[in-house]
Amino acid sequence: MKATTAPLPRALQPLELIQGKVSPGSLDDQVLGFPARRPPRAWYAALAMTLTALGIGSFCIGWTLYFGIGTWGNNRPVAWGFGIINFVFWVGIGHAGTLISAILFLFRARWRNAIARFAEAMTIFAVICAAIFPVLHTGRPWFAYWLFPYPNERSIWVNFRSPLIWDVFAVSTYFSVSLIYWYLGLVPDLASMRDRTPEGLRKRIYTVLSLGWRGAASHWVHYDKAYLLLAGLATGLVISVHSVVSFDFAVSLVPGWHMTIFPPYFVAGAIFAGFAMVVIALTVVRKTMNLSNLITDNHLDVMNKLILAMSCIMGYAYFMEGGTAWYSANPYIQHTFMNYVTGFYGWAGITTITCNIIIPQLFWFRRMRRSIPAMIFVALAVTLGMWMERFVIIVISLHQDYLPSAWHRYIPTKIDFGVLLGSFGLFFTLVLLFARVLPVIATSEMKASLSERQA
Amino acid sequence: MSNRTFAVLGLFAEADKIVDAARQIRPRKLGRLEAYTPYPVHGLDRAIGLAPSRLGRLVMLMGVIGACLALLFEWWVSAVDYPLVTGGKPLFSWQAFVPVMFEVTVLFATFTAGLAMLFALNKLPCFGHPVLHSKAIKDITRDRLALSIEATGEAFDAEGARQALLDNGAEAVEIVPVPTWDRPLSLVGLLRTIAAIVAACVVAGAGLFAAEKLIPIVPPMLHMHNQPKLSAFRESAFFADGRGMRPAVAGTVARGHLPPAFATPEEAGTLLSNPLAFTQPVAERGRKVFNDHCAICHGTVGDGVPLLSLAYGGKPGNFLSNEIRARPAGHIFGVLTLGKNAMPSYAADLDENDRWAVVHYIRILQRAQNARDEDLP
Repeated sequence: MKATTAPLPRALQPLELIQGKVSPGSLDDQVLGFPARRPPRAWYAALAMTLTALGIGSFCIGWTLYFGIGTWGNNRPVAWGFGIINFVFWVGIGHAGTLISAILFLFRARWRNAIARFAEAMTIFAVICAAIFPVLHTGRPWFAYWLFPYPNERSIWVNFRSPLIWDVFAVSTYFSVSLIYWYLGLVPDLASMRDRTPEGLRKRIYTVLSLGWRGAASHWVHYDKAYLLLAGLATGLVISVHSVVSFDFAVSLVPGWHMTIFPPYFVAGAIFAGFAMVVIALTVVRKTMNLSNLITDNHLDVMNKLILAMSCIMGYAYFMEGGTAWYSANPYIQHTFMNYVTGFYGWAGITTITCNIIIPQLFWFRRMRRSIPAMIFVALAVTLGMWMERFVIIVISLHQDYLPSAWHRYIPTKIDFGVLLGSFGLFFTLVLLFARVLPVIATSEMKASLSERQA
Repeated sequence: MSNRTFAVLGLFAEADKIVDAARQIRPRKLGRLEAYTPYPVHGLDRAIGLAPSRLGRLVMLMGVIGACLALLFEWWVSAVDYPLVTGGKPLFSWQAFVPVMFEVTVLFATFTAGLAMLFALNKLPCFGHPVLHSKAIKDITRDRLALSIEATGEAFDAEGARQALLDNGAEAVEIVPVPTWDRPLSLVGLLRTIAAIVAACVVAGAGLFAAEKLIPIVPPMLHMHNQPKLSAFRESAFFADGRGMRPAVAGTVARGHLPPAFATPEEAGTLLSNPLAFTQPVAERGRKVFNDHCAICHGTVGDGVPLLSLAYGGKPGNFLSNEIRARPAGHIFGVLTLGKNAMPSYAADLDENDRWAVVHYIRILQRAQNARDEDLP
């Protein structure tokens, strides 16, 4: 074999994932130094905004609890409305975090290390936001524990053949697994925080949370194995969760829902929306926290490529939906499909296609993938588009189904929008607090890859 | 701090050097080898002689147990304890049980992989480990890798270990003594913590109780719970008569409940005769209806000795009396239809066939209780 001297084409060269000189020590000072410093004014301003949104949302939730979900726009036949639109939207946002932290870990994609922690945190917060909606939508939130199978004095059990009970298991398992996975990754970093924090309350909190981690080699052996196993388990889980969410639709007989494409289509859409949210958050975080040397343009470039790939899968899924409608020769399904773009809510379908399929095509251009304003524009468009997609699936399919005498339009109320705003407020409040008190980058993973780079 | 040595730590800056040093020192058997590093170092585990983790097998086992338990539970719930047919599926439709089975498998496996790893295999939390109280720990969790030679008995040569580490390229060496405390958590501290939690619970409970009693707040969620809807057996302000249940529209005739063509039982006695043939099934039906509706007051043999209404001073009719025996069948039917004295009308509860069947059964009772010698076979 003769060694070639010609340089590899750019696409095959390993990505430069760190700019400038970074050592394990300087990494700690850069990433773990935040909690000790006073937060900048902008942080307080952002927190005030998110808390205001959260306050409005809490008021609307209180209003809903006091007067009932009659204050929402839900009606018959559109009984699902905002409650389920927002649930599916938020669960989907969470999927990007698990994809980045688990699936890309199994694929040994090095660029994930710098953004995995942040994306995992976003997963947990997104699932918290998602859980609000179905619980309120039950109409009797104080009986939410009836969703779980437990021995009760009524001698009845849940129906294990119902996709709704699959949902309960899938989402609660997803939350538990994400939390454990996130916490496991945090333990070595919390130990670093503990050892660099001066005596006081903060040190005590970090001490307890880090469980006395001392980085023993005999511990790392088990830890590495556990992390690998969890990544494998979470990979299967993340695919199952949004598949199960899609079963809520696909297992029913409503025209526009009863399709076999739904599970893969939902999983791809979830990852798509989640990546957009991660890109929005990362551009803000790396600017305000001065992490541009660790979360580089290369990272965002790769993320944007994935958004583009997902966008193409979404386009294929929309096309397949049309194909299913056409091939079914079923006038109801064909009517529903045409309704997506031409009916009373046709603007929602047009927005969905524009935001999800057309706008992300900008990312074919390298300049667009590396331009912050362009990527924020696309990511916001995708977020809007994916929310609209769930609106299209739920509202348009339900408001005109098999029985024309039952057709009814759906108009959301102020309370609906207020609760949605509140969920965004909750999400970003949690993100801001997380960025203040916990390490936003998995430093122990970064240090390992730094040492391998030296070798 | 005591004089006994727990371990000697040698600090290294680079991963390769600590692996080399571990390989050199291990054959000398100076003490138990351990390493403390800020990140996992490949090859270090083998260099200090650690066995591969057995976590994989444990997780596999727990995953299989989770899957089996989930399927067993779903089968027991759906096919045994609460057998409810939905969608025409068999009671044990295992295909529909797969999603929950999968989730429970992942849940069991994850809890094992995450929590068993931390708590069982690594024996955390452990706040009192001597290394945590060494000077080097600040560097260990930051950017230094420590190779540790740990004492296994009284005959530990700390100075020899120190020299060995320095010879193999350690930048700095620290001798970590055994801490003087027996256990890191003091009993007093533990008791204080428990007492503080109990006190906080008591104060919070008392505060909530006082707030609920003193401040007259509207019970929360009242509107969502009490809906403005009609309840059949509840009072309602919506209709003028104050009833939730609606009476039938005037002139409504229910199937099997034709309005009677007579005004009094006596009139019925002259007008009607029993249309049902006196057969075994009719008599059985009559017995069922009699025992369900009549026997409670008139007695199981129809002798007017009540089972229940005695306490209220009721005087139900004695069917065995000569007076009632002499009445025509239509008269008894008329009483059932219109009611008599304290007895309400049974027209709403029993359709005409049931009422006539009861009349037949009453005749049987009358005959049975007044049997003559010739009746015996």
